[in-house]
Amino acid sequence: MNTEKFLQIFQDAQLSGDKIILKSGLHDALKFLREQSTFCILKDISAIDRSEKGIELIYHLYSQIDNEDVLISICVKDEAESVIDLFKSAIADENEIYDMFGIHFSGNERLKRLYMPQDWEGFPLRKDYVEKDSRLAWNDNEDNA
Amino acid sequence: MTMKTTLKLNLGPQHPSTHGVLRLILELTGEQITSCEPDVGYLHRGMEKMAEKMSYIQYLPTVDRIDYLAGFFYSELYIRTIEKALNIEIPEKAKKIRALLLELNRISSHLLWIGAFLMDLGAISPFFYAFREREMILRYFEKLTGQRMMYNYFVFGGVRHDIDFLEDIEEILNILPEKIKDYERIITDNPIFLTRTKNKGVLTQKTAINYAITGVNLRASGVNYDIRKSDYLYEEIDFNPVIMEDGDCWARYKARILEIKESLKIVKEVLEYLKKSEKLKQNLIKPIGIILPEGEYYSEIEAPRGLASCYIVSDGKENPYRLKWRTGSYYSVNLLRELLVGNYLNDAIAIAGSLDIILPEVDK
Repeated sequence: MNTEKFLQIFQDAQLSGDKIILKSGLHDALKFLREQSTFCILKDISAIDRSEKGIELIYHLYSQIDNEDVLISICVKDEAESVIDLFKSAIADENEIYDMFGIHFSGNERLKRLYMPQDWEGFPLRKDYVEKDSRLAWNDNEDNA
Repeated sequence: MTMKTTLKLNLGPQHPSTHGVLRLILELTGEQITSCEPDVGYLHRGMEKMAEKMSYIQYLPTVDRIDYLAGFFYSELYIRTIEKALNIEIPEKAKKIRALLLELNRISSHLLWIGAFLMDLGAISPFFYAFREREMILRYFEKLTGQRMMYNYFVFGGVRHDIDFLEDIEEILNILPEKIKDYERIITDNPIFLTRTKNKGVLTQKTAINYAITGVNLRASGVNYDIRKSDYLYEEIDFNPVIMEDGDCWARYKARILEIKESLKIVKEVLEYLKKSEKLKQNLIKPIGIILPEGEYYSEIEAPRGLASCYIVSDGKENPYRLKWRTGSYYSVNLLRELLVGNYLNDAIAIAGSLDIILPEVDK
């Protein structure tokens, strides 16, 4: 990919290692990569809890024509832009991230609890997740005793 | 007066043809599916959360369980990520042993799929034939590793011990091609099989790419994408990725049959190398107290059900800060939302079955 051209168009983006870090405009950046470039496959979206910085989302795109990968990273608090209109595979990824990290993707109406039960409280992969849940039988708590 | 009513139908979660516990909420008009909503999570074991609490060696035996039909792939994927982070080069023979076992595992996984898929369509006998041949491979794995399914045989820096019983693999190589011919005679041109699979569940290139489908399912739609071609284990091995054009259930079946043949070729090539090679010499690293340098590590592998990847973020402590798996089946389940719509209910099983979904891989 022509990284310089990308960085020219998206002024607040910067290159760090093999990741391109965005501050905003995620949807536009992915749209550019899909339509102006050849990155048609969104391999997956990874989320990492960076505590004070918020949740880092890493979009892993792949171009089958050029056999090239690109990583787009953005830090969000509780809300992010949905990309399901560009990549249908994001339905799966965004739902998983919603379930595990509690991030709402604006524009995605399908978000629901996926692996966890519908009435589950908290988001397990967040670093501040409290593991002492009364519903977990193996936790010694007063209710079970 | 005609009234258009829809019927909501729960397919699963205990339906035998969902290969695990997948629940599909279907909406039907007559017998036609108008919408499909997959519901997963019945097998969720929290593999990613578990990793954050365990040291690297503690986590190793659990990774086989992500896909119990292809355990070698996930141990290899996990180990290769850690080897990459620690800059460990494994000996040539260990590479070949890994490639051999991966391909045998791929064959056994595809064989099980053939049996189970035909059973979904109502043919009972191919199931027994496929399991008979798969048994030979599992027996060999048991002899070598002590386990039939969760092998835990690959270790950081090589394999647990040198490979043995090569004559068993030779026997598999003698028997299997004949049996595959038998399958083709029974199944491939069977008129009932053809009517149930030809032009059913057609997956176009565009849809497949948009839904991030990988592996055999993508190649059966005519996209040449096989990451084995750039994999370090397969560097000197000659093979051709199987590409089919049609993208229907039949093409996915045929692609798997051809892929078994291609894997047998790889096994044969590697076996020749192993027979001539000397005893394995490897410097295994001390597994207790492994610490990855601070950073992010990513690697991927061509698993039988599509691209699998492992992403580890380390903060320089004994356990990973974050570990993320990408598995092929999860995206195949997501695809069902689109692929089933417009089809008849009795084709739903054939179409869902043809994607080779395995639920522990979906739920992680």
